[in-house]
Amino acid sequence: MYGYVRPPLDMLPAEEVERFRRIYCGLCHALGRRYGPEARFILNYDFTFLAIILSEREARNVDRARCLVSPFRKREFQPSGAALELAADESVILAYWQLRDGVEDHDWFHGLKYRAVSKILEPAYCKAAAFRPAFDEKTRCQLEQLQRLEKDRSPSIDRAADAFAVLLAAAAQEVGDPLQRRVLEQMLYHLGRWVYLVDAADDLKRDIRSGNYNPVALRFGLAEGVWTADARREFAATLDHSIHMMATAFELWDFGVWTPLLECTLYTGLFQVGKAVLDGEFQAAGRGRIRQNHKNEEETT
Amino acid sequence: MNDPYQVLGVSANASDEEIKKAYRDLARKYHPDNYHDNPLADLAQERMKEINAAYEQITKERSGGRSGGGYSGYGDGGGQRQYRSSGSSTSSVLQQARMAVNSGDLSRAEALLANYGDHNAEWNFLKGVVCYRRGWMDEAKRYYETACQMEPGNMEYRQALTFMASGPRGAYRPGGGPFGTEACPGGSLCWQLCCLYTLCNGGGFWLCCC
Repeated sequence: MYGYVRPPLDMLPAEEVERFRRIYCGLCHALGRRYGPEARFILNYDFTFLAIILSEREARNVDRARCLVSPFRKREFQPSGAALELAADESVILAYWQLRDGVEDHDWFHGLKYRAVSKILEPAYCKAAAFRPAFDEKTRCQLEQLQRLEKDRSPSIDRAADAFAVLLAAAAQEVGDPLQRRVLEQMLYHLGRWVYLVDAADDLKRDIRSGNYNPVALRFGLAEGVWTADARREFAATLDHSIHMMATAFELWDFGVWTPLLECTLYTGLFQVGKAVLDGEFQAAGRGRIRQNHKNEEETT
Repeated sequence: MNDPYQVLGVSANASDEEIKKAYRDLARKYHPDNYHDNPLADLAQERMKEINAAYEQITKERSGGRSGGGYSGYGDGGGQRQYRSSGSSTSSVLQQARMAVNSGDLSRAEALLANYGDHNAEWNFLKGVVCYRRGWMDEAKRYYETACQMEPGNMEYRQALTFMASGPRGAYRPGGGPFGTEACPGGSLCWQLCCLYTLCNGGGFWLCCC
């Protein structure tokens, strides 16, 4: 998960932006306290979104602390609670298995960086896996399935996206209230589907150049990595159906103080990011990957 | 029952016009059309009933207890659109599959369809419905396409295909406006790309690319 899920902060009032920043910082602090400073570097918007939808309706009192990026001035953040802990644990597990995927799919030399980072994250992962064994198992199993589909070069975008969507839906399996769990599972399934497809679209040109597996290219026959008008329309419609499923699920649960942020993310943020990806304006460079395979530029040249 | 004003999200002092507006907005949001074939349609239906009852109660109270003060509730009986066995359905297996779809038992519907050899238009349509509810949107569209090719005159199949192909354009969106990635005005994502830094140090606009 690589930062595609973001609220359009320029459209939100200052207090909502501040609320978002507090939980973003809160997740960072939760990662640091639970897993040490090295785990803070996995922080991104998508994990923050996960933390928000798992959060209690009412915001807790805020804490203040200095940190690496604000060493002199204490900044407010959302203090850790059950929701942030769950989000932190699941983020570590997801990040770790994605790195292991990177190791699996590269030769010894090109896998070095994945091996190095996953080694750094390993103690954190072991701890997180002990906290959340069921989610760990599910993540491992779904990513293996994804690998098989990639090896078979499956042209089904639904099948490939489903492997990741089911994984993400499992992030809600510890939620106690059955109604809340049902709503969150539906939101997370389609969030996973959307993120996977948007990531594939974002990598279209790069994958075509390198010959890597890309289900979107295979499904729509985009051998040159350039969208045809029909393919683009069809792809946007399939993304929109997933956003619609997320939005309709979102409306069936009271998310309390998080409602404005979530509403803006779902009804505006996702459209903006999807459009930017289709227009080729959303650069994935420098960020992580869900879909593995040989994704670094060096190999394509 | 909950406070009807709370259900509609308005204060007890709200004007009739404000109440009507709040009701209309909620009714659009939870309308069966917005939850057509949605796996959570049952929850939306419950919400719709609650909203209709709240609006009816307020309207009655404000009109001095007279009933029928111009109220006409949005349909709350629909919920999950029922798939009646169509005229062309001659197979009891396909009828059972429709019933399984209607009751939300997708695994049973899938099993019935998997064991049915005649992949006719209705079979393809029902496969499409199951795919849609599972979130396999692309496969759903392909099955609807096949159903329409086999039986071009069937309105049920045609409607399903049109909805899948054009996307949920008419779906509820707060404050109105079109629903869709391509309908998005776009604009600069620049702030968002540097947002990580601005969030952390409270003003790193120097990192901005524009």
